Amino acid sequence: MQAQWVTLVYRLPREPSTPRITLWRKLRRLGVAQVIDGVAALPLDSRNREQLEWLADEVIDAGGDASLWISTPATAAQERALAASMAERIAEEYRTIVRDAEGALGAGEGERRRTLARLRRELRRIGSRDYFPPREREQARAAVEGLAERVVEVAR
Amino acid sequence: MKWATRRHCHVDRAACAWLIQRFIDPAPQFVFVDDPDEVPDDATPFDMRGVDLGHRGGSCSFESFLRRYDFDEPALRDIGRIVHEADIGDERYDAPEAPGLDVLIRGASLVARDDTELLGLTGPLFDGLYEFFRRSHPREQPST
Repeated sequence: MQAQWVTLVYRLPREPSTPRITLWRKLRRLGVAQVIDGVAALPLDSRNREQLEWLADEVIDAGGDASLWISTPATAAQERALAASMAERIAEEYRTIVRDAEGALGAGEGERRRTLARLRRELRRIGSRDYFPPREREQARAAVEGLAERVVEVAR
Repeated sequence: MKWATRRHCHVDRAACAWLIQRFIDPAPQFVFVDDPDEVPDDATPFDMRGVDLGHRGGSCSFESFLRRYDFDEPALRDIGRIVHEADIGDERYDAPEAPGLDVLIRGASLVARDDTELLGLTGPLFDGLYEFFRRSHPREQPST
Protein backbone atom coordinates (compact mmCIF):
# COMPACT_ATOMS: atom_id res chain seq x y z
CA MET A 1 0.00 0.00 0.00
CA GLN A 2 1.45 3.36 -1.03
CA ALA A 3 1.87 6.13 1.51
CA GLN A 4 0.19 9.51 1.46
CA TRP A 5 1.94 12.58 0.15
CA VAL A 6 1.17 16.23 0.63
CA THR A 7 1.29 17.82 -2.78
CA LEU A 8 1.59 21.47 -3.74
CA VAL A 9 0.23 22.37 -7.16
CA TYR A 10 1.32 25.87 -8.12
CA ARG A 11 1.85 28.37 -10.85
CA LEU A 12 3.71 31.63 -10.48
CA PRO A 13 3.89 34.48 -13.00
CA ARG A 14 7.15 34.42 -15.00
CA GLU A 15 7.93 37.96 -13.87
CA PRO A 16 9.00 39.22 -11.39
CA SER A 17 11.51 36.43 -10.93
CA THR A 18 12.28 37.03 -7.23
CA PRO A 19 9.24 35.13 -5.85
CA ARG A 20 10.01 32.25 -8.22
CA ILE A 21 13.57 32.01 -7.00
CA THR A 22 12.52 32.33 -3.34
CA LEU A 23 9.97 29.57 -3.78
CA TRP A 24 12.47 27.34 -5.57
CA ARG A 25 14.97 27.78 -2.72
CA LYS A 26 12.37 26.99 -0.09
CA LEU A 27 11.15 23.89 -1.91
CA ARG A 28 14.72 22.74 -2.27
CA ARG A 29 15.41 23.27 1.43
CA LEU A 30 12.38 21.12 2.25
CA GLY A 31 13.68 18.42 -0.10
CA VAL A 32 10.50 18.10 -2.18
CA ALA A 33 10.08 15.67 -5.01
CA GLN A 34 9.45 17.86 -8.05
CA VAL A 35 6.93 15.55 -9.69
CA ILE A 36 6.65 17.76 -12.72
CA ASP A 37 6.91 21.51 -13.31
CA GLY A 38 4.50 23.13 -10.83
CA VAL A 39 3.86 19.99 -8.77
CA ALA A 40 5.94 19.37 -5.65
CA ALA A 41 5.37 16.57 -3.14
CA LEU A 42 6.57 15.54 0.32
CA PRO A 43 5.74 12.50 2.46
CA LEU A 44 2.69 13.49 4.53
CA ASP A 45 3.29 14.53 8.10
CA SER A 46 2.07 17.53 10.06
CA ARG A 47 5.31 19.49 9.62
CA ASN A 48 5.52 18.97 5.86
CA ARG A 49 1.87 19.75 5.43
CA GLU A 50 2.26 22.97 7.38
CA GLN A 51 5.37 24.04 5.49
CA LEU A 52 3.63 23.55 2.13
CA GLU A 53 0.53 25.36 3.40
CA TRP A 54 2.62 28.44 4.11
CA LEU A 55 4.28 28.19 0.70
CA ALA A 56 0.87 27.95 -1.00
CA ASP A 57 -0.06 31.22 0.72
CA GLU A 58 3.17 32.83 -0.44
CA VAL A 59 2.47 31.79 -4.03
CA ILE A 60 -1.01 33.30 -3.84
CA ASP A 61 0.34 36.50 -2.22
CA ALA A 62 2.80 36.77 -5.12
CA GLY A 63 -0.07 36.73 -7.61
CA GLY A 64 0.10 33.04 -8.50
CA ASP A 65 -2.24 30.08 -8.08
CA ALA A 66 -1.68 27.30 -5.58
CA SER A 67 -3.61 24.47 -4.02
CA LEU A 68 -2.69 21.70 -1.63
CA TRP A 69 -3.65 18.06 -2.05
CA ILE A 70 -3.25 14.89 -0.05
CA SER A 71 -2.49 12.24 -2.62
CA THR A 72 -1.42 8.64 -3.01
CA PRO A 73 0.68 7.34 -5.91
CA ALA A 74 -1.51 4.94 -7.84
CA THR A 75 1.17 2.26 -8.12
CA ALA A 76 4.04 1.11 -5.93
CA ALA A 77 6.39 1.53 -8.89
CA GLN A 78 5.45 5.19 -9.18
CA GLU A 79 6.15 5.73 -5.51
CA ARG A 80 9.48 3.88 -5.75
CA ALA A 81 10.53 6.13 -8.62
CA LEU A 82 9.66 9.23 -6.62
CA ALA A 83 11.58 7.98 -3.57
CA ALA A 84 14.54 6.93 -5.70
CA SER A 85 14.87 10.34 -7.32
CA MET A 86 14.74 12.01 -3.89
CA ALA A 87 17.30 9.59 -2.45
CA GLU A 88 19.65 10.08 -5.39
CA ARG A 89 19.65 13.86 -4.98
CA ILE A 90 20.34 13.52 -1.24
CA ALA A 91 23.05 10.93 -1.91
CA GLU A 92 24.86 13.48 -4.07
CA GLU A 93 24.82 15.92 -1.18
CA TYR A 94 26.28 13.26 1.15
CA ARG A 95 29.01 12.47 -1.40
CA THR A 96 30.02 16.15 -1.37
CA ILE A 97 30.32 15.92 2.44
CA VAL A 98 32.59 12.86 2.15
CA ARG A 99 34.80 14.63 -0.41
CA ASP A 100 35.09 17.79 1.72
CA ALA A 101 35.78 15.83 4.92
CA GLU A 102 38.49 13.73 3.31
CA GLY A 103 39.95 16.77 1.60
CA ALA A 104 40.27 18.59 4.94
CA LEU A 105 42.24 15.78 6.64
CA GLY A 106 45.49 17.11 5.20
CA ALA A 107 44.69 20.79 5.75
CA GLY A 108 46.05 23.02 8.49
CA GLU A 109 44.63 22.80 12.00
CA GLY A 110 42.42 25.89 11.79
CA GLU A 111 41.09 24.91 8.39
CA ARG A 112 40.27 21.40 9.65
CA ARG A 113 38.38 22.79 12.62
CA ARG A 114 36.36 25.22 10.48
CA THR A 115 35.55 22.54 7.94
CA LEU A 116 34.39 20.19 10.70
CA ALA A 117 31.98 22.81 12.07
CA ARG A 118 30.64 23.55 8.59
CA LEU A 119 30.17 19.90 7.65
CA ARG A 120 28.31 19.17 10.91
CA ARG A 121 25.91 22.01 10.12
CA GLU A 122 25.55 20.69 6.58
CA LEU A 123 24.80 17.17 7.85
CA ARG A 124 22.05 18.52 10.10
CA ARG A 125 20.56 20.48 7.20
CA ILE A 126 20.62 17.50 4.86
CA GLY A 127 19.21 15.22 7.58
CA SER A 128 16.13 17.43 7.91
CA ARG A 129 15.17 16.75 4.27
CA ASP A 130 16.38 13.16 3.99
CA TYR A 131 13.21 11.07 3.79
CA PHE A 132 14.67 7.95 2.20
CA PRO A 133 18.19 7.72 3.65
CA PRO A 134 20.63 6.28 1.10
CA ARG A 135 23.69 4.32 2.23
CA GLU A 136 25.80 7.43 1.57
CA ARG A 137 24.40 8.84 4.79
CA GLU A 138 26.49 6.51 6.93
CA GLN A 139 29.54 7.17 4.78
CA ALA A 140 29.11 10.92 5.24
CA ARG A 141 28.67 10.58 9.00
CA ALA A 142 31.74 8.35 9.24
CA ALA A 143 33.82 10.79 7.17
CA VAL A 144 32.84 13.73 9.39
CA GLU A 145 33.54 11.74 12.57
CA GLY A 146 36.92 10.76 11.09
CA LEU A 147 37.69 14.44 10.63
CA ALA A 148 36.51 15.14 14.20
CA GLU A 149 38.94 12.53 15.58
CA ARG A 150 41.80 14.21 13.76
CA VAL A 151 40.81 17.59 15.20
CA VAL A 152 40.66 16.15 18.74
CA GLU A 153 44.02 14.35 18.36
CA VAL A 154 45.72 17.63 17.54
CA ALA A 155 44.09 19.36 20.49
CA ARG A 156 45.38 16.71 22.96
CA MET B 1 -10.94 35.82 25.15
CA LYS B 2 -11.09 32.97 22.68
CA TRP B 3 -8.09 32.10 20.52
CA ALA B 4 -8.16 29.55 17.75
CA THR B 5 -5.36 27.67 16.07
CA ARG B 6 -4.67 24.38 14.34
CA ARG B 7 -4.52 21.12 16.24
CA HIS B 8 -1.19 19.35 16.93
CA CYS B 9 0.79 22.36 18.08
CA HIS B 10 4.48 22.63 17.45
CA VAL B 11 7.05 25.26 18.35
CA ASP B 12 5.47 28.35 16.73
CA ARG B 13 1.98 27.76 18.12
CA ALA B 14 3.34 26.74 21.53
CA ALA B 15 5.35 29.98 21.65
CA CYS B 16 2.34 32.08 20.56
CA ALA B 17 0.11 30.46 23.19
CA TRP B 18 2.71 31.22 25.86
CA LEU B 19 2.98 34.85 24.71
CA ILE B 20 -0.81 35.24 24.74
CA GLN B 21 -1.20 33.87 28.24
CA ARG B 22 1.76 35.73 29.71
CA PHE B 23 1.43 39.14 28.07
CA ILE B 24 -1.92 39.56 26.33
CA ASP B 25 -4.71 37.60 27.98
CA PRO B 26 -4.16 36.05 31.43
CA ALA B 27 -7.18 33.75 31.09
CA PRO B 28 -7.19 32.68 27.44
CA GLN B 29 -9.48 30.02 26.08
CA PHE B 30 -7.78 28.07 23.30
CA VAL B 31 -9.77 26.30 20.60
CA PHE B 32 -7.96 23.76 18.42
CA VAL B 33 -9.39 23.10 14.97
CA ASP B 34 -8.65 20.88 12.00
CA ASP B 35 -10.00 23.22 9.36
CA PRO B 36 -10.05 27.04 9.08
CA ASP B 37 -13.85 26.83 8.64
CA GLU B 38 -14.16 25.53 12.21
CA VAL B 39 -12.82 28.73 13.81
CA PRO B 40 -15.62 30.14 16.01
CA ASP B 41 -16.79 33.65 15.07
CA ASP B 42 -15.78 35.10 18.43
CA ALA B 43 -12.25 33.65 18.39
CA THR B 44 -9.01 35.29 17.22
CA PRO B 45 -7.21 32.88 14.89
CA PHE B 46 -3.42 32.59 14.96
CA ASP B 47 -0.77 30.58 13.13
CA MET B 48 -3.25 29.58 10.44
CA ARG B 49 -3.32 30.23 6.73
CA GLY B 50 -4.47 33.64 5.62
CA VAL B 51 -4.75 35.25 9.09
CA ASP B 52 -2.92 38.36 10.33
CA LEU B 53 -1.28 36.51 13.19
CA GLY B 54 0.28 33.95 10.88
CA HIS B 55 3.37 33.72 8.74
CA ARG B 56 3.86 37.13 7.17
CA GLY B 57 6.60 38.26 4.82
CA GLY B 58 8.96 35.48 5.81
CA SER B 59 8.29 35.84 9.54
CA CYS B 60 6.83 33.17 11.79
CA SER B 61 3.57 33.72 13.68
CA PHE B 62 5.33 34.49 16.97
CA GLU B 63 7.14 37.35 15.23
CA SER B 64 3.81 38.54 13.80
CA PHE B 65 2.48 38.70 17.39
CA LEU B 66 5.50 40.76 18.51
CA ARG B 67 4.89 43.21 15.68
CA ARG B 68 1.13 43.37 16.04
CA TYR B 69 1.31 44.05 19.81
CA ASP B 70 4.42 46.28 19.65
CA PHE B 71 6.45 44.04 21.92
CA ASP B 72 10.04 45.11 21.44
CA GLU B 73 11.66 43.79 24.60
CA PRO B 74 15.07 42.32 23.72
CA ALA B 75 14.36 39.04 25.54
CA LEU B 76 11.19 38.52 23.48
CA ARG B 77 13.07 39.29 20.28
CA ASP B 78 15.64 36.66 21.29
CA ILE B 79 12.87 34.10 21.69
CA GLY B 80 11.46 35.26 18.35
CA ARG B 81 14.75 34.45 16.62
CA ILE B 82 14.87 30.98 18.15
CA VAL B 83 11.25 30.22 17.28
CA HIS B 84 11.82 31.51 13.74
CA GLU B 85 14.76 29.17 13.20
CA ALA B 86 13.07 26.21 14.92
CA ASP B 87 9.94 26.70 12.81
CA ILE B 88 11.20 27.99 9.46
CA GLY B 89 14.93 27.22 9.63
CA ASP B 90 15.93 29.56 6.81
CA GLU B 91 19.09 30.66 8.68
CA ARG B 92 18.02 34.27 8.69
CA TYR B 93 19.19 34.34 12.31
CA ASP B 94 22.02 32.74 14.21
CA ALA B 95 20.03 30.74 16.78
CA PRO B 96 21.98 27.69 17.95
CA GLU B 97 19.25 27.03 20.55
CA ALA B 98 16.68 26.35 17.83
CA PRO B 99 17.38 22.64 17.12
CA GLY B 100 17.34 21.95 20.88
CA LEU B 101 14.01 23.70 21.40
CA ASP B 102 12.59 21.90 18.37
CA VAL B 103 13.50 18.49 19.82
CA LEU B 104 12.20 19.34 23.30
CA ILE B 105 8.80 20.39 21.96
CA ARG B 106 8.56 17.47 19.53
CA GLY B 107 9.31 15.17 22.45
CA ALA B 108 6.71 16.88 24.64
CA SER B 109 4.11 16.45 21.90
CA LEU B 110 4.79 12.69 21.97
CA VAL B 111 3.92 12.34 25.66
CA ALA B 112 1.14 14.94 25.94
CA ARG B 113 -2.38 13.56 25.50
CA ASP B 114 -3.69 16.64 23.71
CA ASP B 115 -2.80 20.21 22.84
CA THR B 116 -3.98 21.60 26.17
CA GLU B 117 -1.66 19.25 28.03
CA LEU B 118 1.16 20.05 25.57
CA LEU B 119 0.84 23.79 26.21
CA GLY B 120 0.95 23.02 29.93
CA LEU B 121 4.34 21.38 29.38
CA THR B 122 5.79 23.96 26.99
CA GLY B 123 4.67 27.08 28.90
CA PRO B 124 7.28 26.67 31.66
CA LEU B 125 9.98 26.08 29.00
CA PHE B 126 9.25 29.50 27.51
CA ASP B 127 9.04 31.05 31.01
CA GLY B 128 12.56 29.78 31.56
CA LEU B 129 13.84 30.96 28.19
CA TYR B 130 12.35 34.38 28.80
CA GLU B 131 13.97 34.65 32.24
CA PHE B 132 17.30 33.47 30.86
CA PHE B 133 17.37 36.05 28.09
CA ARG B 134 16.07 38.81 30.35
CA ARG B 135 19.10 38.30 32.57
CA SER B 136 21.43 38.25 29.58
CA HIS B 137 20.57 41.85 28.68
CA PRO B 138 21.98 44.71 30.73
CA ARG B 139 19.35 46.38 32.84
CA GLU B 140 18.50 49.93 31.98
CA GLN B 141 20.42 52.30 34.22
CA PRO B 142 18.20 54.33 36.55
CA SER B 143 18.38 57.97 35.52
CA THR B 144 20.11 60.21 38.01
